[in-house]
Amino acid sequence: MQRIFSMMVKEFKQVFRNRPMLSIIFIAPILQLFILAFAITTEVLHIKLLVCDLDRSQVSKEVVRGFGNTDRFDLLGFSTDLKEIKEKMKAWEAQMALVIPPGFSRDLGRGQNPEIQVVVDGVDGNTAGVALGYARGILGEFGTNYVKNRPNYTQPVGIHLVNMEERMWYNPDLSSQQFMVPGIVVVLLTILPMMLSALSLVKEKEIGTLEQLMVTPLTRYQLLLGKLIPFLILSYVELAVVMTVAIVFFKIPMNGSYLLLAGLAFLYLFTTLGLGIFISTITSSQQQAMFTAWFFMVFMILMGGFFIPIENMPPILQKLTYLNPMRYFIYIIRDIFQKDSSLFSLLKDAVPMTAFGLLIFSLSVLKFQKRVG
Amino acid sequence: MPEISVKTENLVRNFGSFVAVNQVNIEVYQKEIFGFLGANGAGKTTMIRMLCGLLKPSSGKATVGGLDVYRQSEQIKRSIGYMSQKFSLYEDLTVEENINFYGGIYDLNQKRIQKKRDEIFFSLGMGDYARTLTYDLPLGFKQRLALGCALLHDPRILFLDEPTSGVDPKARRDFWEIIHQTVALGTTIFVTTHFMEEAEYCHRVFIMDAGKIIALDTPTKLKNRYKKKSMQEVFVTLVEKQQEKKTNPMPDSNDKMS
Repeated sequence: MQRIFSMMVKEFKQVFRNRPMLSIIFIAPILQLFILAFAITTEVLHIKLLVCDLDRSQVSKEVVRGFGNTDRFDLLGFSTDLKEIKEKMKAWEAQMALVIPPGFSRDLGRGQNPEIQVVVDGVDGNTAGVALGYARGILGEFGTNYVKNRPNYTQPVGIHLVNMEERMWYNPDLSSQQFMVPGIVVVLLTILPMMLSALSLVKEKEIGTLEQLMVTPLTRYQLLLGKLIPFLILSYVELAVVMTVAIVFFKIPMNGSYLLLAGLAFLYLFTTLGLGIFISTITSSQQQAMFTAWFFMVFMILMGGFFIPIENMPPILQKLTYLNPMRYFIYIIRDIFQKDSSLFSLLKDAVPMTAFGLLIFSLSVLKFQKRVG
Repeated sequence: MPEISVKTENLVRNFGSFVAVNQVNIEVYQKEIFGFLGANGAGKTTMIRMLCGLLKPSSGKATVGGLDVYRQSEQIKRSIGYMSQKFSLYEDLTVEENINFYGGIYDLNQKRIQKKRDEIFFSLGMGDYARTLTYDLPLGFKQRLALGCALLHDPRILFLDEPTSGVDPKARRDFWEIIHQTVALGTTIFVTTHFMEEAEYCHRVFIMDAGKIIALDTPTKLKNRYKKKSMQEVFVTLVEKQQEKKTNPMPDSNDKMS
């Protein structure tokens, strides 16, 4: 017991004496949280819109006003030249163009279903899709108002027979922060424990103190426990700090149980701390350890559903994500945050995550030997 | 017959096809300073690592303090001290914290640690440095602190792997003074070095080349045998002889090659 305690005291002192390390541990994650939460957004706003109104009537102006009244579109200007649309789009100056044909209001008045052309820059498929959706909504609303304001108007058959009523559950504003921030919590619980444990073990290897510890009666388990418990505690402190910022500053609703989240985080930390030990056994310098840790991290983050929804991946890659322990924890965290899921409903993710954690952790501990070669 | 501290029989360690330690037989006695000489790459560190339980031998037998290095390496670790050429201290901890840490690892109670700490400060004359970060210590002090930490638990056998590399001659002499005091208290010293004047301080020396013993005796006897004035000359003569053997191999071995 005293041995483990001595190791822990030493680790804490070393962490707190290392100022750059300390700022990496506590300031970097909060910065990351801010940057990532603001920068990574799937919300599409301020689409640059070029209007080509060839009709120039009251009605066509009403259509354009519909696009101008929302921050989803920024009205760039008017043009009468279709070539200009082409040029502006090529130069990334416009993302969408609205072409209202001549005679639009006349045809509409006669109930002839005139067409409005919407040209979208499809390079960024996601933005294009969302922009089209917005346009459809605005035009639909325009149609409804048009009919409402003209009681004598005979509505063409086949339009608006069914009205859709939309209800977004769990995230009514479709705020992407609410989706991203819990993901960032997972990323931090991956990076910090893995880096801390890998770097601190490899550092001791580099300066020779690990060899010194290996000739003492300190057992492998005492050595690892004394090293990992402080990192475990630091990870929880970090978790608490980041959650506080997320809930207080970003107003991310936390609907689930904190206890459940803390408990499942503990199971996830087996994976990341275990990976840290594993990395330290296969590398001999801090640089090597850093690069190896990055390799694992990039794989885990890209294949974990943090940036790229797993459902959007090709089937083979989707299967591959089952090998990624982070995948399970991301689902768990998002479920707890937004849906207040119970342990029971989380079991399908929690069980494989725990299995991975225990497997990785025990293999790493076995690989970590009290010998040098 | 004095008690035997370290004994090896046909000890071998290979790294792939390279034989670092080749059929070595030694006996080290209690309260002896046993010097282990050899050029760089002669197998000194490999030998010491095997005896400390850091490295498994490829074949042969070895006991340390009567304990078997294969099966009882963890028990061996309780009774030995080890100091490597890297002076394995935590440079981001203070002098005092290093002592407290290693004391804790060796299960010493607070009173013992306190006593040892005072002893180290007194004998090493470094009380003023108690709260200094080890990083800021002069090299000679780091070395003595590392020695102090290796002796915290009063080991019966102390292994020193090139303990004086990099320190100045004065610090080196002070260091050997402490070593002699330690031996007087009953500890066996197993030391590797390539400073030949240090070899003169040893009771017996053991010279290795390419993993094999090429001489084993007291410094005086070795000097007499090769009719040299210093261990330096003895060592150079012996190593040159070995090299001649390698560059001008026996005719029959040449035949086998072709």
